[in-house]
Amino acid sequence: MTGFSAETLTLPTVALATLLPFAAFVVILLFTRSRPRLSAAVAVGVSSVSLAGTLVLLTLHWNMEKPVQHTARWLVSGTIEIGMGYLLDPVSLLMLAVVAAVSFLIQVYSLGYMAGDPGFSRYFAFMSLFVWAMFNLVVSPTMFQLYIFWELVGLSSYLLIGFWYEKLMASQAGKKAFVMTRLGDAAMFLGILLVLLHLGNLDILEMDSPKAAASMSPELLTLSALLIFGGIVGKSAQFPLLTWLPDAMQGPTPVSALLHSSTMVAAGIYLYERLYPFFLFSRTAMTVGLAVGTVSMLLASTMAMVNRDIKQIWAYSTISQLGFMLMGLDAGSLFSGAFHLTTHAAFKALLFLCSGVFIHRYATNDIFELGRQGCRSLKIPMACLIIAAGALSGLPLLSGFFSKEVILGSLAELSNPLWLGAGLLGVFLTSYYAFRLVFILLFPGESGPGHGEAPEASAPSHGSAHSRFHEWILDGPLIVLAGVTLLLGLFQVPLEQFLRGGEISGLHWPDPLHHPVLPYVSVALAALGLGLSWVEFGRRGAPRVGFVERLPGLFRLFSQRWYLDHVYGFLVDRGIDRGISRLLYLNDHKVIDGFVDGTAESTAAGGRITAFLHTGMIQYRLLTTFAVVVFLALYFFL
Amino acid sequence: MIVPFSHILLLAGVLFSLGMFCALARRNLIMIVLGIEIMLNGASIAFVGSALHWQQLEGQAFVLFILAVAAAEVSLGLAILLHAFRRTGSFDPEAYNSLK
Amino acid sequence: MTLYGFLFYVLAAVVTASTAVAVTRRNLVHAVVYLIFSYFGTAMLFYLLGAPLLAALEVIIYAGAVMVLFLFVVMMIRVEASGEHFFPLSQWIPAALFSLVYLAAGSVLMLAAPGTEIPLKMLTAAPRDFGLYVLQNHWFFIEVISLLLLVALIGALQLGRKQEGLSREEEG
Repeated sequence: MTGFSAETLTLPTVALATLLPFAAFVVILLFTRSRPRLSAAVAVGVSSVSLAGTLVLLTLHWNMEKPVQHTARWLVSGTIEIGMGYLLDPVSLLMLAVVAAVSFLIQVYSLGYMAGDPGFSRYFAFMSLFVWAMFNLVVSPTMFQLYIFWELVGLSSYLLIGFWYEKLMASQAGKKAFVMTRLGDAAMFLGILLVLLHLGNLDILEMDSPKAAASMSPELLTLSALLIFGGIVGKSAQFPLLTWLPDAMQGPTPVSALLHSSTMVAAGIYLYERLYPFFLFSRTAMTVGLAVGTVSMLLASTMAMVNRDIKQIWAYSTISQLGFMLMGLDAGSLFSGAFHLTTHAAFKALLFLCSGVFIHRYATNDIFELGRQGCRSLKIPMACLIIAAGALSGLPLLSGFFSKEVILGSLAELSNPLWLGAGLLGVFLTSYYAFRLVFILLFPGESGPGHGEAPEASAPSHGSAHSRFHEWILDGPLIVLAGVTLLLGLFQVPLEQFLRGGEISGLHWPDPLHHPVLPYVSVALAALGLGLSWVEFGRRGAPRVGFVERLPGLFRLFSQRWYLDHVYGFLVDRGIDRGISRLLYLNDHKVIDGFVDGTAESTAAGGRITAFLHTGMIQYRLLTTFAVVVFLALYFFL
Repeated sequence: MIVPFSHILLLAGVLFSLGMFCALARRNLIMIVLGIEIMLNGASIAFVGSALHWQQLEGQAFVLFILAVAAAEVSLGLAILLHAFRRTGSFDPEAYNSLK
Repeated sequence: MTLYGFLFYVLAAVVTASTAVAVTRRNLVHAVVYLIFSYFGTAMLFYLLGAPLLAALEVIIYAGAVMVLFLFVVMMIRVEASGEHFFPLSQWIPAALFSLVYLAAGSVLMLAAPGTEIPLKMLTAAPRDFGLYVLQNHWFFIEVISLLLLVALIGALQLGRKQEGLSREEEG
């Protein structure tokens, strides 16, 4: 076993784990398109290999002292050298484990969910593409590689959101997602360029070292940090680029579970963790991030409070929780964001998967409709849903409770109590909307607002081929994730110790016992939210009308997503379409085409004018003769 | 002492340009031939003046030849002109642009 | 200025004026007559410049034969005086422009050449000497000219035939 040390095993393991999914993608698309079972086997098999590889890496590098990096030369231009390879440190290992585990579970779940769909092979191919891109994003050693895989992740998100492309809304949602995240990515690219200009390369380790602070002025550091943060805003659906995520729910539920709750949108948070020391160089950027996270969190919570579509509620919840993670990170604690990312991945994926079981069974997304159809008869999904909702709200002893405490603890360290207040308000709102959904599902009454206004189901209803295998394959991942949700909170201390290693400087580890009152306050607020939703939706004879709906103006504001989409529509329509596009169109039509056509026409006209010299009266020819002679004479004799 | 040589040449040039103008700007075939005659006349003046300037008889000999050629050319030219007139019935050059 | 110089300028003015008038006459007969006048002036100019034989020949051949030929043709055909589209704008402006350009170019060429400011000396070539000179040095060209005149004669004869001959001319 002498050859199997950490150094020699790492490279092949990483290569295998991160590159195999791409092979799966190619194989499925090229060869096994017509054999769905084989495609599924390839995809799930590769996913399990990646999971195993990730676990091996975790055990090998549990006590790593410094980051392990391995790059090969990729781009050499003058003094700039950018490589491709991998960089392993606790943050990336943790994220890798999260991505591998969740993607494996969800792919198993998809075997049951997507069974019978004509695009079965294509689905697994795109899932493998996504997994490959996500893995390589996590292990990238340079911003260059990260940006490439960032875009690839966005591409697979587009492909998967618009998976049922015959539905117009699905393809439009895919386009919207891609374009909005592209806006953020443009800003990120500018930030990367700024760093490249001044630092000379895009190595993440170098960006995190004091060398970066030395080579750029504080204003430039702030500017590049803000620009890169723009990319995070786009990818993680923070304010103002948040409206693509609810629309992205047009994709299949496993896609929403994997991409748009646990992993892809968390990539933004992950990037923040990666460049955490870099962001620490600029306090202004961190304050901006804190503000953006707070606003997103509160805004999305309000939007979730009045929604009827089960997946959209969880989508808003994702935005809100990502904002919460950003708040924790920007308050100065790396561990808070990382821990909450991990627990959130587990319980949010669980929430989506449970909802997927309901949608698959009853072919509707509307919570009132689902409740009415008796979804509480599905015991396992319902139980898991309640556990996950509890974790989301931060009820004691569930994993969400522990991670929320860490975040609230770091928020309490800030000098301005406004942030902590906002965080606590967010806790209340989260608990309220989570349990509103639970109670509507559990206790359907006859008086639900609006009978026939059910939003369209995101999954076309399949035949109810519910064999035992089918149910087992759908429920199995649910149970696993529920177990993780229950138990992960107990791993807080080992995880913290794990993340401490790796020479990541400038981190702040808030002592959870520093604020003994805080846990009680947050639990009390969560219970208050739960109680309020019980009063309004849960108990017998409940009016089933939320307190927001009693204020129609507020209700309209929340349900129209604070009119953000209207603002965007206006901007795009007036500003871009009628403004810039029109200008460019006029330029193209009048100036460029006019120039080209004008040249052609003037040439033709010139030809017509001078043609008469040849074909007209003889006197014109005489004139030409004389002119030629005179000019020749001038030429020869002068 | 008569005049500077350049004045003679100037006179010749003016006559030549007048003849050119007549050949180019009149809408009559006969006037075109007339213009040619004027141009030849101008050239003759230039030759005679040059003969005086360089005191050689070559110039005057050449004028003799010009005279002869002009006579031959006018006769033939007018014959062609009459022939063309009989064919098209007009002296306007506009009628002779069938190549258009 | 000597008398001869003065004479030269007067003659030059006469020649230029009559040519200019000839060019702008609508009536062809008028134009020809003005041109004859111009040729008389040219002949006197030749005499002034020392070429008496040429002066005589100018009057006899040019003014006497060529212009008379013109008159014959004009009167035979009886070209309508107003039939001509007189000086159309699109035609005479380019022509006038070009003539001015030509004059300018010519003047430039002339002024650039050295030795043209020297006034000419009076000299006369006696007809006898001139004739001897020509026949001694350029007798070949005299023969060629006679051939040329023969060709012109034949050509004019052929072209001036009646319709039957003309139809054969057209096909040929």
